[in-house]
Amino acid sequence: MSSVSMPQVAGNGLEPGFRGVICASFGAAGDTAEQQSDSQPKLDLHFEAATPQTLSELRSVLGSSSVGVRLFLSGPTADIRAAAAVAAECGLHQEEMTLLSEEAAPRAIYCPHCHSTTPTFQPAGSEVPCQGCGTALVTTDHFSRRMGAYLGYAARVEEAS
Amino acid sequence: MTVAALPISPHPAVDGGLQLEVTNVSPQTDSIVSITLADPSFRKLPSYVPGSHLVVQYGEEGVNAYSLTGSGNAPSEYAISVLRVEDGAGGSRAMHRLAVGDRVYVSRPRSAFAPASTATHHLLVAAGIGITPVLSHARAAAERGTTSSLIYVYRPGSGAHVDEARELLGSALTECSNRDSFQEVLTEQLTKQGVGTHLYVCGPNAFMDSVLDQARAAGWAEARLHSEAFGAAELDEGEPFTVNLVRSGLTLDVPAGVSLLETLEKAGKTIPNMCRKGICGECVLPVLRGTPQHRDLYLTEQEKAGNTTMMCCVSRSEDPEMELDL
Repeated sequence: MSSVSMPQVAGNGLEPGFRGVICASFGAAGDTAEQQSDSQPKLDLHFEAATPQTLSELRSVLGSSSVGVRLFLSGPTADIRAAAAVAAECGLHQEEMTLLSEEAAPRAIYCPHCHSTTPTFQPAGSEVPCQGCGTALVTTDHFSRRMGAYLGYAARVEEAS
Repeated sequence: MTVAALPISPHPAVDGGLQLEVTNVSPQTDSIVSITLADPSFRKLPSYVPGSHLVVQYGEEGVNAYSLTGSGNAPSEYAISVLRVEDGAGGSRAMHRLAVGDRVYVSRPRSAFAPASTATHHLLVAAGIGITPVLSHARAAAERGTTSSLIYVYRPGSGAHVDEARELLGSALTECSNRDSFQEVLTEQLTKQGVGTHLYVCGPNAFMDSVLDQARAAGWAEARLHSEAFGAAELDEGEPFTVNLVRSGLTLDVPAGVSLLETLEKAGKTIPNMCRKGICGECVLPVLRGTPQHRDLYLTEQEKAGNTTMMCCVSRSEDPEMELDL
């Protein structure tokens, strides 16, 4: 999986042999996922955000596609990472996805206590209250591709014990 | 019933392995026999990953690897199927002489053709005796509730495990008896698999190369492709070269027609090795200087380009001289 910062557009995602491209953009990133796929079939999807509804739409599109397809995702990091996690669950391989991420967008912090994610602009090492359970979470640089989020952990947990 | 005496000592490749007894021998075809091995005191055998193989010792010094055909889940016996190769090194002929009650030294099962845990479907492709590891995959998939389909190419009358494959896979089995019908089926299957499918192929090298190349051309990412080599092509004898063993301070000449591994062994070096055909990856050596002429099937293209490791059983040197960290 290649991950490039905006506004650069990846040109290396389409190795020979691919059979069709799905371009999914999130938020305002509308046109950035435009990929020239010449004669190959191409499907453009645009979503406001990665919500359970839009992700399930993506899931059903992937569920009806075949091996040989490539996926381009563009938009805020948290959204495209959530979409990449869904694609991996569907069986798409990392090397078949290209991510174009807007890094200025908030990062998703995963709460291991209630399994919800909380967006934040704070850098790693800061504290944010979890949207799901209110636990004060310390943010980290530890990123999970499966969760599509950075791991958070309960602040001052050592002191409490 | 004849009880053959065990060889005097186990070969290094089966050392630390098991001593098993032949409990059943049944011919599959004119040239393929299925052999079942079990613990003489009926102990459970180690489980194995689908697609694993067993190294079996024959005679005093010979070892061969054979794919296990079971699912690998809590086995009470190990089953292998052996094709008799008349002009081989003698291993398959020795296997065909085995009778119920004979004892053999075998390794623990070794996994080199594992199913991908993230696969949503397994597309299995086998030619001839290549059915053996793929049958293991089909059985394991059925037990674990994943789906699999199999394209099996064999000459009419010489297919092993055909009935089992039919029973196991039903309509998910496509049998082909010639190249043209196989080509048609393969092309169709390669273009209609759901995105979570992984491909597993076993058969002669040229067959596997052709299947893998066609999959790549149809857009299959490398990570979806799995293959199990069972026979290496005959290699030419190569150019002579000199090897410097830096840590031992030794310089050895490797003549044409003699492998680096044989040269090192003659010089008293013990190099772990097993297949001696560039398949198993056992005899890897670190290269300090020089460009290896890679002739193995084990290292990835990336590893070969790095020129920091080589398989000394088949690979040689591009240059007149090379240095090894040995």
